[in-house]
Amino acid sequence: MSSKQGFVSIEALSRRDALRRIALAVTAAGLGRGIAPADAAEVHQQVNQERTFRGEYEVKYFNEREFRTLERLSELIVPADEGGPSGREGGAPEFIDLLSSQNEELAGIFTGGILWLDNASNHRYGKRFAEADEELQTAMLDSLVAAEREDRGDDTRWDTREYGRFSVFGVRTPSDMRSGLVFFDWARRLIVDAYYTSPAGIKDLGFVGNASHTEYKVPRESIDYAKGRSPFRDA
Amino acid sequence: MAETDYDVVVVGAGAGGGTMARVLGEQGIKVALLEAGPMIDPQKDFKTHKWPYDYGHRTAERGGQAYFGNGTAYGFFTTVSGGWQIDGEPYTSAPGTKFDWFRSRVVGGRTNHYGRMSFRFSDLDFKPYSRDGIGWDWPISYEDVAPWYDRAEEYIGVTGTVEGIRSAPDGKFHDPPEPKVHERLMRAAGKRLGVPFIANRRAVITRSINGRLPCHYCGQCGRGCLTASNYSASQVDVFPAMKTGNVEVITEAMAREVEVNESGLASGVIYVDKAERREKRVRARAVVLAASACETARLMLNSNSKHFPDGIANGSGLVGRYLMDTVGFSLRGTLPALENLPRYDTDGFGGAHLYAPWWLWDDHHKLDFPRGYHIEMGGGFRMPGPGSFSSLARATGYGAQLKQKIREQYGTGIGLSGRGEMIPNNQSYMDIDPAVVDRWGIPVPRFHFSFSDYEWKQARHMERTFRDLIEAAGGKVLGIGNMARESQGIAVPGSIIHEVGTARMGDNPGSSVLNKYCQAHEVRNLFVADGATFVSNPDKNPTLTINALSWRTAEYLSEELRKGNV
Repeated sequence: MSSKQGFVSIEALSRRDALRRIALAVTAAGLGRGIAPADAAEVHQQVNQERTFRGEYEVKYFNEREFRTLERLSELIVPADEGGPSGREGGAPEFIDLLSSQNEELAGIFTGGILWLDNASNHRYGKRFAEADEELQTAMLDSLVAAEREDRGDDTRWDTREYGRFSVFGVRTPSDMRSGLVFFDWARRLIVDAYYTSPAGIKDLGFVGNASHTEYKVPRESIDYAKGRSPFRDA
Repeated sequence: MAETDYDVVVVGAGAGGGTMARVLGEQGIKVALLEAGPMIDPQKDFKTHKWPYDYGHRTAERGGQAYFGNGTAYGFFTTVSGGWQIDGEPYTSAPGTKFDWFRSRVVGGRTNHYGRMSFRFSDLDFKPYSRDGIGWDWPISYEDVAPWYDRAEEYIGVTGTVEGIRSAPDGKFHDPPEPKVHERLMRAAGKRLGVPFIANRRAVITRSINGRLPCHYCGQCGRGCLTASNYSASQVDVFPAMKTGNVEVITEAMAREVEVNESGLASGVIYVDKAERREKRVRARAVVLAASACETARLMLNSNSKHFPDGIANGSGLVGRYLMDTVGFSLRGTLPALENLPRYDTDGFGGAHLYAPWWLWDDHHKLDFPRGYHIEMGGGFRMPGPGSFSSLARATGYGAQLKQKIREQYGTGIGLSGRGEMIPNNQSYMDIDPAVVDRWGIPVPRFHFSFSDYEWKQARHMERTFRDLIEAAGGKVLGIGNMARESQGIAVPGSIIHEVGTARMGDNPGSSVLNKYCQAHEVRNLFVADGATFVSNPDKNPTLTINALSWRTAEYLSEELRKGNV
């Protein structure tokens, strides 16, 4: 069941504000109040990304609490670092919202999962997940990973484990992390996918394909690098 | 019933039917080309050069169906129309049989997305029985087919290098692109183990021919190519056939029966017009079936008349028999030598730039299986998509170290796939399910399939070889690829999509359906131009041989029409 919530994320609003300020500044520039070209380019680039991922997006399925939780999870699971921004910038909350608005099975994993997470967080910290301090949030995720390792061992395949499909989701006791594993696994999977299929994630990976060449060339540097690290370094 | 008249009606607009229609059309012969699916429009239907972020669903498809195993076969970007299942068009399997049947209902058929591996059968492949006493010989030899391989390759365009390997005859090649980094490592590993990796032979052009532009190395052949730099029956055969003015393509036409006249000759084809849901008839002097091996056999078995109560041209009882697929086995691994590799564009010409032809063709006396396989390879920095890093994410947890791990491991994966020859056997065939019809009222195929020890032992040899190759390159084996489909250590029958052999050629009408020109022994104006004609299924992907044999049959048919014999 899909419900139109009709709000946009805070970040998108702030970027829209930035655009508005730039637009004003550019108009005002004629009156002698300049704006550095580099700053303008930076904001324009941001705005372009926003158009693709956040700015024009109206949340279709989740309520504000749920969406805020997805935003926070997207920042924690794929955090911003020197190689690129966070899963949130990669459009993960919107991606999950869009798919959930079209798929009740998936929506149930996330709405139920977020309720479980908030419940577990309340039991532990007396606060819902999104409102807890970062330290407590990461402690919760660390517990989930520990439970997952215990449960799964070294088997990281998707399709050979029963809980690859949504079949064992359910809240048992909030202290039992296993209840949250299906949700955590789906959240991580979709956040990772959203980030690495976004322009920022593709740049982070260094994927340089989907291009057009008149001739196909493999750089010597890459060949030598691999050969030097292989058993064939002398071959 | 509406009626139309042509010289020839061809059923199926894929590799065999496309070649047939083009060659006949170029000779002024009036052809009706029936296709069960729609016309294809490359500008509209091909997703060439798109990014995942061009779609809100990032290619996971509506509601994330790809995550639930219900996405487009081979991914959202792939150009297919159909898949493993088609709504309202079921097929069944006998108890104990698992068989996957891939149908692509569109002009060009499966050639719009196929892997485009283009290997000639060798002299050994055409005479397997003479060599080891297993299976059957073809009624034709390599020398008979070589001129047609030449023509097909020159027209289609196939890359490669001249190597002089008996199991992999050389052809008329376009220059291949240079090997990628991971391929060089596997080639070096192969050298240590005596497995020769050579330039891949794919139906991609690297110089302009027939107004087609050379490959621009975007690596997206499976999406369909806007510049027609690879072979697809739609762009390279059917469109040129239409331009001759002699070929009329009738789309959304589901053939149900070959009609027979009083003298026991084919008089045309009855098909269901899918839009109008009514039967129509195309009359012609000759009928060519090229609907894919199992659709062709289905059509023949469903064509019952007083002359042919058990299906047209089926006096031998062999229509549908000796169904074969390729023996498939895959192993994945990672190569630590590639960690943090300086980035470069690994897209290339859309598949591996190297492959290993069967190298032990003269050593079968030392092996516990009679026939060979070739090795295909995957790897490189692939365009990320849904699921690209799921296993890695699970292994790592979350957070900063997850990102670091993905950067380090991106592009380190290697996959090796064996494609081996299956020996035709009595337990592997298709017949008509007596209890099931599809939405067009046509009785459907029922599959029976069994691999023998020949195939199982070959697959185990693949497994050992692939493990040795990965480990020789300093790599770590990650386990059998795609466990769900290969749970028994050999790909599910049919899933390699090389199904052939259901109306085989031969000199003896008692033990074959077609003669050496792919003409029915019992009906001289009925021909087959797809994989149904195959007597064996060598480890060479079948499409190039379908092209070559169809071209040969087209020239023969044209001559017979001219002489008035047909």
